[in-house]
Amino acid sequence: MSKRKIPITPYIFIAPAIIIFLLFIVVPAMEGFLQSLFTRGIIVRQDIPALRSRFVGLFNYQKLVSDPRFLTAFGKTILFTLTTVPSIIVVSLSLALLLQEKIHGVGIARAMVYWPSMISPIIIGIAWRWILGYDTGILNYFLTLFHIDKQPWLIDNARAFISVIVVSIWAQTGFFMVIFIGGLNTIPDSYYEAARIDGANKWQQFLGITLPLLRPTTLLVLVLSTINAFKVYQLVTVLTSGGPGRATAFLVQNIYEEAFSKPLSVGYAAAQSVVFFFVMLLLSIAQFKLSKEESV
Amino acid sequence: MKSKKVLIGFLKYLIVIIVSVIFFFPMLWVVISAFKGESELFLNPPRILPVHFTLDNFKSGLKFGNFTQYFVNSAYVTITSTIITVIISTMAGYGFAKFKFPGRDVLFIGVMATLMFSLEIIMIPMFLTLKGYGLINTFIGIIIPPAATPTGIFLLRQHMRSIPDELLEAAKIDGANEYQIFTKLIVPLSVPAISTLTIFSFVWRWNDYLWPFLVINDDKKRTVPLALANFVGQYAVRWGDLLAMTTLSIIPTLIIFLIFQKYFIKGISMTGLKG
Repeated sequence: MSKRKIPITPYIFIAPAIIIFLLFIVVPAMEGFLQSLFTRGIIVRQDIPALRSRFVGLFNYQKLVSDPRFLTAFGKTILFTLTTVPSIIVVSLSLALLLQEKIHGVGIARAMVYWPSMISPIIIGIAWRWILGYDTGILNYFLTLFHIDKQPWLIDNARAFISVIVVSIWAQTGFFMVIFIGGLNTIPDSYYEAARIDGANKWQQFLGITLPLLRPTTLLVLVLSTINAFKVYQLVTVLTSGGPGRATAFLVQNIYEEAFSKPLSVGYAAAQSVVFFFVMLLLSIAQFKLSKEESV
Repeated sequence: MKSKKVLIGFLKYLIVIIVSVIFFFPMLWVVISAFKGESELFLNPPRILPVHFTLDNFKSGLKFGNFTQYFVNSAYVTITSTIITVIISTMAGYGFAKFKFPGRDVLFIGVMATLMFSLEIIMIPMFLTLKGYGLINTFIGIIIPPAATPTGIFLLRQHMRSIPDELLEAAKIDGANEYQIFTKLIVPLSVPAISTLTIFSFVWRWNDYLWPFLVINDDKKRTVPLALANFVGQYAVRWGDLLAMTTLSIIPTLIIFLIFQKYFIKGISMTGLKG
């Protein structure tokens, strides 16, 4: 057999996937970069002045830096990320530690905690909107049982923001708990036995063995949950619709509204997407670097 | 000393129960509420269980809008898209796992890099591209683009790498051609990975909101999540109907979850799978 001959079979096997990626990822991605340099609307017709697409260079990017709507949405997304991500790590790791123990019925508890990860964010939003209602919501009813005043969960700015954070943590905890349990299972029992013989208590075992050996898993959870937090959109759509006012309008919603509800703003929305992409790219590079460090 | 142990054990149980309730109750509350009549639904203070158990919400919900149609649409999109995903990923996984060819590693890294371009990020240019292809408002527009998933290809490739090369060599010596090796040897040996991907893909597609949201604007072509979100967007939310339709829409995922629960949780803890 001649080694020089380029085999054709493998290309046939990977072709369908590669073609879809080219048509539906590579083309739109390039289109995004390209259109961010233009001022244009959804429909472009060069013969009608109002629908013309004009090359404006980096104008859209200059506009971004001083656009209060974009900056507010961006800031809110960062605030949202900085609050949800640490909470998700703490809550899902705590539950992993609690529910990895071999006590009776723990499998059912694990399944119950995981269950929200199986449901669409749309449905989670509907469920919580129903629970958090002011007059008829069950949560406010429970509060009155403890003689606490009803709270305007989705009506007041700050409470709506907190609600989105809490529901978002609730929705993702199960998924990340399962990843943490996977990580915990890779730590050999003999390490803990040795520590016990040396007289280490549970807390010392956690700090000395569990936490350091769990570092790769924690990093994975950190990066995945950060990316999820930056992309938050679907849950908010039904829970608060970005409201009240624009109290819970995050980056993705802002980009979408920019493109579809304002005239000649598609190029500008594309520029926002490009900025968004670079944030994601930085996060992915950080993940890659950290995981490399890990394997050294 | 012994009573202290018992107390800690009891406290642990208590916490486990409280945690389970916190995570399970919200969806259960939706289901319970769906069986309540209009007057009971808005009772203040509310009652936990319905006094008059009724199916009215389900009947009126299915009539309102075209919910029967939306369920048919969702089933069609979910099933076809999952079949395509499984075929494409199995083929690509095999190509990447068992062949050496120029550009293989670059292409594979390229495939994995597409993970960064999730739809949230390229929503606007994606809309323009699909519009250019004439795929806006078509089922193809929500079936084909998300069918190729890097996660699926990765899963299949990892699995197939563990199939010994000697098996393939032996089949070649016996005169099997590439097509036969793939269908008679590789596919049967990859059933565990294929099933995992099938389950995941089904859940991803059934729950998917963003693709239909971007592509579909014809009412008759809406999928269930899109229709439900639209329901909420209306000025006066029809809670009875909404809760009933929400309850119906979680049945397929609930069934899958109950059957494949162990499988599922194992798959995630091993690979960190996410669509």
